[in-house]
Amino acid sequence: MNRRIRLVSVLTAGLLAAGCGSAASQAATPAVPAAPPSLDTSLVTTTGTWAVAVMGGSAANHNNFWQLFVRPTGSATWRLATPPGVASNGGLVLAGLSAGTVLAGFRPSQDLSYSPLATTKDTGKVWSPGLLDAALADVPGALAADPGTGHLLALLSDGTAETSGPGGTSWTRLTTRQAIAASPAGARCRPDSLTAVAFSPSGKPMLAASCSHPGTAGIFSHARGSWQLAAPELPASYARQPITVLRLTTTGGTTTALLAAGNAPATRLLAAWSSDGGSRWSLSAPLPLDDATLRAASAGPGGSFGVMLSNHHAAAISRTAHSWQELPVLPPGTATLAASPSGGWNALAVHRTQLTIWQAAPGADTWSGEQVLRVPVQFGSSG
Amino acid sequence: MSGMNSGINVNDPTVIAAFKAALVHQGIIALLIFALLGFAWITVRAWLPAPASSTDAASVPAVAEPSWRQVLRIGFGLLWIFDGILQAQPKMAIGLPSQVIEPTAASSPHWVQQVVNWAGTNWSYHPMQAGAAAVWIQVGIGIWMLVSPRGLLSRLAGLASIGWGLVVWIFGESFGGIFAPGLTWLFGAPGAVLIYAVAGALIALPERTWHSPWIGRGILAGTGVFLIGMAVLQAWPGRGFWQGTVHHQPGTLASMTSDMASTSQPVVLSSWVNAFTGFDQAHGFAVNLFTVTVLAVIGAAFLTGRRQLVRPAVIAFTVLCLADWVLIEDFGFFGGLGTDPNSMLPFALLAIGGYLALVPSPAPATEPATTEPVTPVPATPGPAAGWREQIRPASLRRALATASIRTVAALGALGLIILGAAPMAAAQANPTADPILAEAIAGSAAPLNFPAKAFQLTDQHGQAVSLASLHGKVVLLTFLDPVCTSDCPLIAQEFRAAGQLLGSAARHVELVAVVANPVYHEVAFTRAFDRQERLTQVPNWLYLTGSVPQLQQVWRDYGIVAQILPAGSMIGHPDIAYVIDRAGRVREELNTDPGPGTTATKSSFAVLLANAARNALRSS
Repeated sequence: MNRRIRLVSVLTAGLLAAGCGSAASQAATPAVPAAPPSLDTSLVTTTGTWAVAVMGGSAANHNNFWQLFVRPTGSATWRLATPPGVASNGGLVLAGLSAGTVLAGFRPSQDLSYSPLATTKDTGKVWSPGLLDAALADVPGALAADPGTGHLLALLSDGTAETSGPGGTSWTRLTTRQAIAASPAGARCRPDSLTAVAFSPSGKPMLAASCSHPGTAGIFSHARGSWQLAAPELPASYARQPITVLRLTTTGGTTTALLAAGNAPATRLLAAWSSDGGSRWSLSAPLPLDDATLRAASAGPGGSFGVMLSNHHAAAISRTAHSWQELPVLPPGTATLAASPSGGWNALAVHRTQLTIWQAAPGADTWSGEQVLRVPVQFGSSG
Repeated sequence: MSGMNSGINVNDPTVIAAFKAALVHQGIIALLIFALLGFAWITVRAWLPAPASSTDAASVPAVAEPSWRQVLRIGFGLLWIFDGILQAQPKMAIGLPSQVIEPTAASSPHWVQQVVNWAGTNWSYHPMQAGAAAVWIQVGIGIWMLVSPRGLLSRLAGLASIGWGLVVWIFGESFGGIFAPGLTWLFGAPGAVLIYAVAGALIALPERTWHSPWIGRGILAGTGVFLIGMAVLQAWPGRGFWQGTVHHQPGTLASMTSDMASTSQPVVLSSWVNAFTGFDQAHGFAVNLFTVTVLAVIGAAFLTGRRQLVRPAVIAFTVLCLADWVLIEDFGFFGGLGTDPNSMLPFALLAIGGYLALVPSPAPATEPATTEPVTPVPATPGPAAGWREQIRPASLRRALATASIRTVAALGALGLIILGAAPMAAAQANPTADPILAEAIAGSAAPLNFPAKAFQLTDQHGQAVSLASLHGKVVLLTFLDPVCTSDCPLIAQEFRAAGQLLGSAARHVELVAVVANPVYHEVAFTRAFDRQERLTQVPNWLYLTGSVPQLQQVWRDYGIVAQILPAGSMIGHPDIAYVIDRAGRVREELNTDPGPGTTATKSSFAVLLANAARNALRSS
């Protein structure tokens, strides 16, 4: 073998070795804990049913506009009630105050870094501005209000919880994820993230979390200057499973928590109810998600919840039933569910600027069209 | 990649007109440089007879330039000139970062993108100077190489080719894409301009090496090793070159050629590329087998250094390069913003040069040095003289008198390079962007002269502020929505930057915004906005608000409509700034629509605002 041939051999071997080194390796699919649902949701207050849905076009082009709809109590029809004056591309978060007052918070988008607020007492005809000088978290439970005192709670995108005086005046820091984790109560949960805020029926601030410690639900209650774990005890079968509190709401004296147990694709949903601020809980039967993920969760009256899955299936649960009732397969484009005054559920389906409201009476096996709303989305106005 | 893309439309008429004007102005200067040098040369030669010592120089035999060097020097000189002409395309000033550099770097590793982004951002800040610099530097290097067959100037031309070639290879071609996936010789690896640099290195070799047999062996062995490496890479499984189609989609090569054919170009050219794409889709394995085999065989033949093998290999390689150039590289410069004819012509030139260097040349010929002097500063005052002596006017006159026309042309080419590089270097020292970007977005400012309408509002600290209280200062007045998500924060950043640019003059300028939102107008919102935009520490910043009737009055007085739009839209209002002079008269109305809001355009608007304030300070 002469020198040139040896040189070629060495170079070829080197290139082959380099190529071997760049070969892609097969990565194992990691376990994925459940994530909180989207901001598409609904809420029932004494003055009406409220629903948030994203409409329009591409979020990348800032043509996704979040809209707020209301069906006032006693009315059979929905109407647009999005608060004016702020671009809603970042998302809307709702909370019910006393006497039918509703608070809407705008998640910031693009170059805006804080969250304007808006309050209405007349089902969205007139809105009053408010300010949270920080960014709301991207979860549907990022705002909560205490109907008794008018105090507010906000969960921020950096994992901080803030509280305000009546009506959103003078916000102050309540706690952070890190502070919760460092507390004795937090040690049992080791929270990865905070997922929702709520007030107990007696007005105590409550926080929901995703726990890295398996088998523990992360619900914390603030009393006498410290945080206590106020979560339901889960059956032993969940002891090795990650638990995430997806939603935490209080309506009509009942605090309702929606929990996800286990990693995808074996995640199961559980609902839990408490009337005493988290000392005692009753737990629902599990709802297996069967490879699907939770897309939206909507709170109904009396601690009921409607959930919408990624496979176009939906289910509902109430405190009295304790087991999940499957709803008919959802119409195309359904963004969220909303409790209907008749006891059934509405499905709010979006196609660009058109909202179609579908109705399913209790026990029905199909959805029937109820109303079509065309929303005057201003494409390009946020670009 | 942040900053690289100015966001301005490549067809923007303002920028195109400015780029053309810059090229015309610099072209006139270039002609003047050549005319001046030519005139000086003729004049000095007429008035100052060549000194006797130049006769001595003539008696020194000069080594004739070998054919391999002629091929490289003339070939790559012409390529540089062609590339320079391509750089003069009207869209190049704005389009090069966004349409050439950014797409090339997109698939490269992050660190490559960081390096490239630095250069792209600099270009986007000074598109006129950068665009013109690329034109004149490349044309200058090309002319320099063409007119300098030997001597120090010729070697320096080679070094210039290396230097600029590496600049273009690193920043313009993202290291020729060698760190990106899908690397293939067929599509230009390792970057055309790297071959320009290699050719420059060969041209820069000293004359004593010109006839060394190792030159040809070195060129061919290097090319051979490279081609064998490329053959291995081409043959490597899993890269998609063996398949014409994958899941009914074009394979790697067919996909590349299909994209190439879809760019704007004469139909006949795209039809050839499309025909090859179809052939590759149908016979992907055969095409790749042929490519791998031919590259490996040619590479091996080059490595042997044996003339009887190299000669047919060079012919085959040239044919292969030309076929690739037409059918795969699509001539390299059609469609989009072509900056060069890609890699195949340089590769063919390099191989031909290598072969010619391998062929034993006849005994070194000599030429009288009087026709081709070695340098513009020949014998007189003599190499032994100090450099101070050499640059004295008398010495320079003598040097010019004895210089050949080629030397004068080479000096002119050097002048072209300086003509392009000097304004770019000066622009680099300026950290702010060219105001032409803002002018392209906003159009020309409207000069005005009427008394500004009075107002009294409340500032972000809760203090009452009237326009009368600002008398004696220039006021830049705009209207901003404190909960706006796009334009208003950008305009505020531009105002803040303008205040910084004003330096000490800022104490005579007040940056004033009035709330443009009838819903979210309370002082709390102006404070939140100031914190968000880091305006709280800007001493001459005022964000004014008031009741809705107060605001509506000011809006009416200044032609502002703040419209509440439905369905989750922000308030609609015009982006306008007024320049009010020290006497309280409106002197200018600026369109402050920030356009794409890139770092370049923000900086450009800041310059525009600062200039407007300075003009108002001077005029009042």
